[in-house]
Amino acid sequence: MPFDFTLIGRTVPVLAQGLYLTLALSALAIALSALWGLPVVLGLMSRFRAVTVGTRTYVEIVRNTPVLVQMYFIFFGSSIAGYPLSGFTAGLIALTLQNGAYIAEIYRAGIQSISKRQTEAGLAIGLTPGAAFRIVILPQALRKVLPPLANQGVVIIKDTALVATLSVAELTFQARLLADRTAAVYEIFLTLALFYIAITSAFAACMRLLEWRLRVVQ
Amino acid sequence: MSTAMFGTLIVSVPLLMRGVWITLLLTASAAVLATAFGFVIASVQLFGGFALRALAEVYLYIVRGVPLLVLLFAMYYALPYAGINVDPMLGGALVIGLYFAAFMADVFRGAVLAVAQGQWEAGRSIGLRTPRIFSDIILPQAIRVTGPPYINTLVMLVKGTSLVSIIGLADVTFVGRQIVERTLAPFQIFGGVAFIYFVICFVLSRCGAYLERRTSYVH
Amino acid sequence: MCTDSSTSTAPIEIDIRSVSKWFGSNQVLKAVSTDVRRGEAVVIIGPSGSGKTTLLRCINLLEQFQDGEICIAGEAMGYQVDPVTRKRRRRSERDIAHMRAQVGMVFQSFNLFPHMSALKNVALGPVRVRGMPRQAAEELAASLLARVGLADKVDALPARLSGGQQQRVAIARALAMQPKAILFDEVTSALDPELVAEVLDVMRQLVQEGMTMVIVTHEMAFARAFANKVVFMADGQIVEHGAPAQLFGDPQTPRLQTFLKRFKEGYQL
Repeated sequence: MPFDFTLIGRTVPVLAQGLYLTLALSALAIALSALWGLPVVLGLMSRFRAVTVGTRTYVEIVRNTPVLVQMYFIFFGSSIAGYPLSGFTAGLIALTLQNGAYIAEIYRAGIQSISKRQTEAGLAIGLTPGAAFRIVILPQALRKVLPPLANQGVVIIKDTALVATLSVAELTFQARLLADRTAAVYEIFLTLALFYIAITSAFAACMRLLEWRLRVVQ
Repeated sequence: MSTAMFGTLIVSVPLLMRGVWITLLLTASAAVLATAFGFVIASVQLFGGFALRALAEVYLYIVRGVPLLVLLFAMYYALPYAGINVDPMLGGALVIGLYFAAFMADVFRGAVLAVAQGQWEAGRSIGLRTPRIFSDIILPQAIRVTGPPYINTLVMLVKGTSLVSIIGLADVTFVGRQIVERTLAPFQIFGGVAFIYFVICFVLSRCGAYLERRTSYVH
Repeated sequence: MCTDSSTSTAPIEIDIRSVSKWFGSNQVLKAVSTDVRRGEAVVIIGPSGSGKTTLLRCINLLEQFQDGEICIAGEAMGYQVDPVTRKRRRRSERDIAHMRAQVGMVFQSFNLFPHMSALKNVALGPVRVRGMPRQAAEELAASLLARVGLADKVDALPARLSGGQQQRVAIARALAMQPKAILFDEVTSALDPELVAEVLDVMRQLVQEGMTMVIVTHEMAFARAFANKVVFMADGQIVEHGAPAQLFGDPQTPRLQTFLKRFKEGYQL
């Protein structure tokens, strides 16, 4: 079957219908994961052993099980429990639980990469420990954290495709529907791939811009 | 804990085990492919000529930007159209292997670049040439730091194999979903499925930690 | 081509002729010329950023230079000039590796191979580059390690050795190639003060045995006592050079006078 470039042009509007949901889910999942990572990292670095053990258990469980199974667990589980969640919501929760754990580890590495001497220097000029963390450690850690955070964001965007299995009509769902109805398989999946590449590239570019804005001139 | 609470899960174990077998087979074959091809990509990135390096970058760019699920769909829809009938198992292993090869390449390349530049210089200063410096000096040191990120990538690969359930391969996730649709016991079944993945990934991590201890210089 | 134009008896081992190097638009070596005779120990001093380490690395072709020529025993290192077009071309990787094997180098940060024992570190070059049988190479390595006072450390991994011991292994590794000359790049700068002496002792021993050496260092006392010639560099140029007594006792240029004065006052430049 010959490759028909004009078909790409006709595929784009159909896929664009799914684009909104993919973008919305990506943005929400990235924002919520980044937020959820904060209490998790506090839990991981807590002084109380019960808290660290509990948080560590959660992190190990989600990191060692597929996000797809977590989605199924939440989606089908919520409906059996009598509080049915939409595919979108179930997907959002699973993505947040999974990626929040990864992002917490990123935060932890960022904080630990700033030398203890920086805190000591802050304390030495009379800052309280809290202020030293906020004024000295956090701004430095933030810069260290941005590149791996950008990578995790790309992972999240790509993983939003999984909610297609929960009948959420996002990009991949639309493409599959189209592929089932027409024979233009190559064109559809090429267009779909280009959509994802465009989204992830745009996101990565924004993160690089942010990184550049926050750079330290050395 | 009563048997009633886990009744459905216990009854489903034999069925799930058939899925586990598919998951393990898929994991093993995709892991071999990802490791081998990842090594090739990293070598090209480090030592290849301009054209080869550009090719590798394009490959990595695509894989980094496109979801694994989309690649799996593309493969399963597109190949039959092209008149190629590929065994779904083989196809799945291929796509997953090639996909994670990109991440393996990052691991290997990162490990080589992590070896101090002075090691290359010390090798050069006694008159060794690049291939020899690489094989005798850089590689043994790179392998030592490869362990943890390599295992992390393998864990990602194990989790990634669950996606083949969406294109109809009867792995443990697929079997789990089928059982849930008949028994309406999602907590038990998906909890059990998650536990199985956890065990596989956990065993991998332990192996990694063991290897790391074995390969450290100071015993 | 490099030919000996001097009247002194010992032949020239390293001949540096008008070497220039740029990092981008920044010229770090400005037509530097000097020579090192067989059996001589030449010490290069100067403030940081003066180009002394860069010059040393050019001799061993770890850095490329854009103009001029460096000859080892009459053979031009690294580049060949096309007799017709006068174009300079970098030699093949094989030729360069062969040339590097004739000049040893000891680094500030030791750069021992951390996954090999001291013995294997020293024997690697003879086995892999010279094609020496492993047995013979390891005997040679053991005798060299004994010579630098580490007979009891042959099987130790670098991580188990002190900085001074590691640096002595590195010197043995350079000696194992039986080089025409050895280059020392601030080899005591990364060491704790109490470990400096053991490395300088080995170097002093090499000077007395007549090894040709080029030494970049801040150890002024060592330079004054054991160098045959001292070269003072600043801003990518050789500002002054001569016998140590003359250079340290009667510096001619204001730059060297300031440099030595600061050193005496305890400033590290």
